[in-house]
Amino acid sequence: MSQPSPQGATALALNIRGAVKHFGGARALSGASLAVRRGTVHGLVGQNGAGKSTLIKLLAGLHTLDEGVIEIEGQAQDTLTPHLAEELGIHFIHQDRLLVPTFTVGEALFLGREPRIAGTPFLDRRAMQRQAAAILDRYFGIRLPNSALIADLSTAEKQIVQITRALLHSPKILVFDEPTAALVRREADILFSLIRRLKEEGITIIYISHYLGEIEALCDTVTILRNGIDVATLAVRDTSAAAIASLMIERDIEEMFPKRTVAIGDPVLSVSRLSSPGKYHDISFTVRRGEVLGVTGLLGSGAKELLRTLFGLEPALSGEILAGGKAVRFKRPSDAVRDHLALVPEDRRGNGVALDLSVTENTTLAGLKRFTRLGFLDPARERAEVDGLIERLQVKTSGRDALLRALSGGNQQKVAIAKWLSRQSEIYLLDEPTVGVDVGSKVEIYKLIGELAERGAGVLVLSSDLAELVGITDRILVLFRGRVVKEFVSSDTSPDAVLAEATGSLEGRRHVG
Amino acid sequence: MSVDVSFTPTLGAENAAPQSRRRSWGGQAAAIALRGGSFVAFAAILLYFSLAAPFFFTLGNIGNVLGQSAILGVLAIGLTVVIIAGGSNVVTGGIDLSVAANMGFSAAVYASVIQLGYGDGPAVLASLSTGALIGAVNAFAVVVVGVVPLLATLAVMNVVAGLELVLTQNTVVPATTDFLSFLSAAGPFGLPVLAYGLLAFTAVATAVVQFTPTGLRLYATGEFPDAARAAGLPVRRLIAGSFLASGVCAGLAGILSVSYLSGSTTGAGDMLLPVVVTALLGTVFSRRLVPTITGTLLSALLVGFLVNGFQLMNISSTLVNGVQGLLIILVVSATTLLRRQEA
Repeated sequence: MSQPSPQGATALALNIRGAVKHFGGARALSGASLAVRRGTVHGLVGQNGAGKSTLIKLLAGLHTLDEGVIEIEGQAQDTLTPHLAEELGIHFIHQDRLLVPTFTVGEALFLGREPRIAGTPFLDRRAMQRQAAAILDRYFGIRLPNSALIADLSTAEKQIVQITRALLHSPKILVFDEPTAALVRREADILFSLIRRLKEEGITIIYISHYLGEIEALCDTVTILRNGIDVATLAVRDTSAAAIASLMIERDIEEMFPKRTVAIGDPVLSVSRLSSPGKYHDISFTVRRGEVLGVTGLLGSGAKELLRTLFGLEPALSGEILAGGKAVRFKRPSDAVRDHLALVPEDRRGNGVALDLSVTENTTLAGLKRFTRLGFLDPARERAEVDGLIERLQVKTSGRDALLRALSGGNQQKVAIAKWLSRQSEIYLLDEPTVGVDVGSKVEIYKLIGELAERGAGVLVLSSDLAELVGITDRILVLFRGRVVKEFVSSDTSPDAVLAEATGSLEGRRHVG
Repeated sequence: MSVDVSFTPTLGAENAAPQSRRRSWGGQAAAIALRGGSFVAFAAILLYFSLAAPFFFTLGNIGNVLGQSAILGVLAIGLTVVIIAGGSNVVTGGIDLSVAANMGFSAAVYASVIQLGYGDGPAVLASLSTGALIGAVNAFAVVVVGVVPLLATLAVMNVVAGLELVLTQNTVVPATTDFLSFLSAAGPFGLPVLAYGLLAFTAVATAVVQFTPTGLRLYATGEFPDAARAAGLPVRRLIAGSFLASGVCAGLAGILSVSYLSGSTTGAGDMLLPVVVTALLGTVFSRRLVPTITGTLLSALLVGFLVNGFQLMNISSTLVNGVQGLLIILVVSATTLLRRQEA
């Protein structure tokens, strides 16, 4: 953009230099800088814990700097408050859509700066509706009914309302924090065209995302944060997603899926002709010691329900399960745990870990019996075991007494797995083990899965990340509409081939051809 | 900067169509049934009583019901403001259990001030200040200390009930003044002044809560505090204000009750359940299934008409308690189910 700046002083809308921020003993930012040119789309990437959110909260006035300078439009801002940030024209589009569900679109848009009927203290609802309709039409070409409540809107429509709220304030800088996390592809495309249009109108955009493809498609410049420092700021057209990723994680992307050769042993879990009407039919497979079996399928394929059955969370009508060589029928999860099964659920925060308990408590919870002496907990034994596990799994935490809430998603997941390690389980059922986890932690979780196999456990991974499945498993079962439609040997296949089976696109072709 | 650049065609009309409406058809239907059903039920009750008791549907009787509902209505409207600003979750949301006790104490203060020989002016002032002060204590406990409203106002309720006993020595404190007689007398068209009072109060409260920015902000604060904060609203001040408003309403109800009963009597605490029922029931009379002032008025009148109808037909009024209980279970479970579906 060759727009001359009004004062001619600077072309930078935002210039953060040498930002340092501590939280207690932990250093969230250690001298990070971020220079954003006016009228550009500036990507901000980094693993969880790299300092992205701290940097953004500084900009929002929610935290104050320990050291460093924030300049907005060339003016140093020592005491940035949320109110001042808004006056300076900085607005945020949050991942969570902060809109009141029982409000109409007009009410949600104008909350906090409501138009009044001239000369009265009363709301001008008609003006709200009219202006809302006008601005939605102007920017998005959409029309939402005046009476529609926020609760009735789709996720994308809610996001549109949220962005429109910011536009009403004539923003100078708009910060998008993981805006596509809850959007489907087509909705994300709409968002991208909107962001390009906002850029055309001269608004400076800061775009935070885990998806490097989005950064490539959308941004002019990208700043990569790592360990609280900006390791590079690059022009996006001169770089590649792979290069950005490698800067983020200090390791080559090739090593994402550590290959290891493990001797495959005896069957540890055998399932034959398992059926549950309406969910899955006639499923048979075997997991051997040292083997990682992948299972995938779309929503409604029955894969999720199969996993739930294996852990005793829902019954199967017919069929057989052999665990550790003996026929079992789990009525409840505790039966499965007794027979050395372990489940790491997808909803980590809901079911996998207790956020308000410490690392120690979370780790020992599933196997408390091993840590008791005469019926009482033996803290020394707990400590030894937990410290060992923290060390082995490289859990990044301030110590075994830290609350799980304070850990990043990837590290919480490691604790969720550690819980079962301490229980010495033999069959691991992992449900979407890397969902919502950053790239670096993913690699460590993959390593951990490999390690489980090496120790002679059988591992079953349910995942919809097909690159991951192909990378870390030995075999892959594809479920489609409740049946196993294909079994792949992972080393002989590609994510694309698996995807074709899972989506049933080959099915159609077969019938046609 | 030009703004009417034509936008990319991806944003065509097909995107305006609802793509993934969150509320299911079943949920929509249930919501409509609940709202429609409540109005139909209201109409059916009126119709039934009008047919069964000829006196029921006369101006005089309707005025009576309005007048008799005035105290309940004013209290329930105060409580409604607290529920709006605190959120309608029955356990963790906004609730003010001290309203009934507050009314009793404010009434006792009014009657005592009259007994001491002061006029109506100081008594009104004392009564309203008492209500406001109790509201301020609630606000402090909830907003500053951070106690859950259910517990904070429960504690305040007990303290206030105790204070009333200390002040009145658990006796009736009579009070008759011209102002009080005026309030309890009949006004234009032979309708009780209290009936006009209730309608006027509802009109003012409706204007403030449903038609001003402050009202809208109260709703935002209760429904989704994070959104209210993101919009830069003073969330804590709004919640504190709601307790203050409910305290003032209780003070006002205290004055009405002194007039209605010609003095201050014990047993104000018995009003608590009907007040809570009325405020919660009110949500079914709004399109969005949220508490509203007009909804609360309608629900106060529904309860009033039920009692009145039963009396006219010589049905034991103890049955009314049962009906109230049923209504509350019905409404709370229906709205809970609907909300769960939306979540």
